[in-house]
Amino acid sequence: MARSADSTISNSRLLGLNPGLLGGKGLLTVLMAGAFLWSLTAVAWREPVLHPGGLGSLAEILRAAVTPEMSPSFLALTLESAWTTVAYAVAGICLAAPLGLVLGAAASGVLFRSRGLAVPAVAGLRFLLGVMRAIHELVWAWLFVAALGLSPMAAILALAVPYGGILGRIFADILNDVPEEPLTALRASGASELKVLLYGRLPMALPDMLGYGFYRLECAIRAVAIMGFVGVGGLGLQVQLSFDDLLYREVWTLLYAIIGLVALVDAWSSWVRRSLVT
Amino acid sequence: MSSPTRTEARAARRRTSPAALSVAAFLVLAAASWAYILSDDDSGVGKLFSAEGWTAAARFVGDLAGRGSESTPAFLRWDKWAEAASLAYRTLAMSVLAIVFAGVGVMLTFLPAARRLGSDDASTARRPIRRALFYVVRGLFIVTRGIPELLMAMIVIFFFSPGIVPGAIALGLHNYGIVGKLAAEVVENLDPRPARALQAAGASSSQVLFYGIVPQALPQLLTYLLYRWEVVIRTTIVVGFVGAGGLGREFRLDMSLFRYTDVALLLVWYVLLVVAVDLVSAYLRRLVR
Repeated sequence: MARSADSTISNSRLLGLNPGLLGGKGLLTVLMAGAFLWSLTAVAWREPVLHPGGLGSLAEILRAAVTPEMSPSFLALTLESAWTTVAYAVAGICLAAPLGLVLGAAASGVLFRSRGLAVPAVAGLRFLLGVMRAIHELVWAWLFVAALGLSPMAAILALAVPYGGILGRIFADILNDVPEEPLTALRASGASELKVLLYGRLPMALPDMLGYGFYRLECAIRAVAIMGFVGVGGLGLQVQLSFDDLLYREVWTLLYAIIGLVALVDAWSSWVRRSLVT
Repeated sequence: MSSPTRTEARAARRRTSPAALSVAAFLVLAAASWAYILSDDDSGVGKLFSAEGWTAAARFVGDLAGRGSESTPAFLRWDKWAEAASLAYRTLAMSVLAIVFAGVGVMLTFLPAARRLGSDDASTARRPIRRALFYVVRGLFIVTRGIPELLMAMIVIFFFSPGIVPGAIALGLHNYGIVGKLAAEVVENLDPRPARALQAAGASSSQVLFYGIVPQALPQLLTYLLYRWEVVIRTTIVVGFVGAGGLGREFRLDMSLFRYTDVALLLVWYVLLVVAVDLVSAYLRRLVR
């Protein structure tokens, strides 16, 4: 009898009913362990997980990693593809930044003085931004290619839509988080909400917005690099072509180019962000 | 840390203003990019402003909604909903597995990647093995972070049977690099005082680690993992394109067979999954705090 009482207590602890001993973190641990065990059940263990004969190609791929293709003609192609990747990413950000700024300023709700109008408008705009960024840029790319045909514009729009969504959401948060006192001063001197936004909120929010924008540029490079998968040019398309021909040495040259490009833009964007913080 | 050289350096940095310089550089880059794109005759910009382009786009949207198709649209058929639900279930499992792989990998390796562990600045310099380990792990972070998930999946899929495991491994590897770098930075920015106090009280280095460093770093690490889970669920569909299971593989098949109403149904499930994971992750992140 006593034993069963004990087990009841430990069960209630496991379920997080005793916050003193098993608070949020304990519950989290239990939930995460449970999620992991559940995810294992979804694996089809009866089929062999490892592909037979795959190890031979693994050795071949790894050997190719130390001997990437270095012929001048291929390096020229790599350089050109890298430039295409950068151009699409930059062009996509050019569209995403104004889109995010307009939608974000509207979704922050700072332009509305009456609450009755602000609440539904903000909820609607936040939902729109949510759908824009919920769908991955490669899926957008595929949809745009199907709708508009294979062209650079499909890649640029596919980047602009989800990145406009994420920039809009972050910009809205940043605009909401600026200190209130200077804004109150502006309002006291008779400024409209639009003027408060332009001369109060935006200047104060600019460093944070700029820093986040540069971080997204870094992500955009990575994103465009994989859009080659749906046929849009750039490094990803070359990887796909070389992979199809089983030319692993070329694949590695392109992968190193992607890693180098990302590291370069990474360094640039963190330099900008560091300078904005201090 | 307010030596005159440091303040002078900071003042010099403010004069050149990297932000203004970078914005100018970005504008130059933007002009060059648009010039390059518009010089391409097939850039698609013209199509964007033509009636022909808009009718094509409208036709595609109509196809997704099932306009003019003879058979019942997929999103009006129960069997299709059930099929998509089971794919969504496997996709969700893939994202959880990926985060677990990334999390376990990071927990095993993030400590050597931190530049300062508590207070042993000096001992780091004296230990060549730890130094080597630092560069190896940091290098691993850079490479895994630099290879996009899709390309990682293209490589991993070679030695696995198609299914959610290769997808989870590819996503896990990429996120290992991202979370690993963040985790190492967290450790570097930790408050060193608890570790120092432990050391002063005579704790061994492993005790300093488990009582002074890990408890401080763990909540932040968990928060990052949960954030990455939100990104991973968006990306599961992408690794599915190259043969990892779940919604992505079916999406690719339906796209190439022009079964657009099926595509629309899969997109509905995809957005539902993403929204659900965002909500659950937000709830769990509150628990961490």
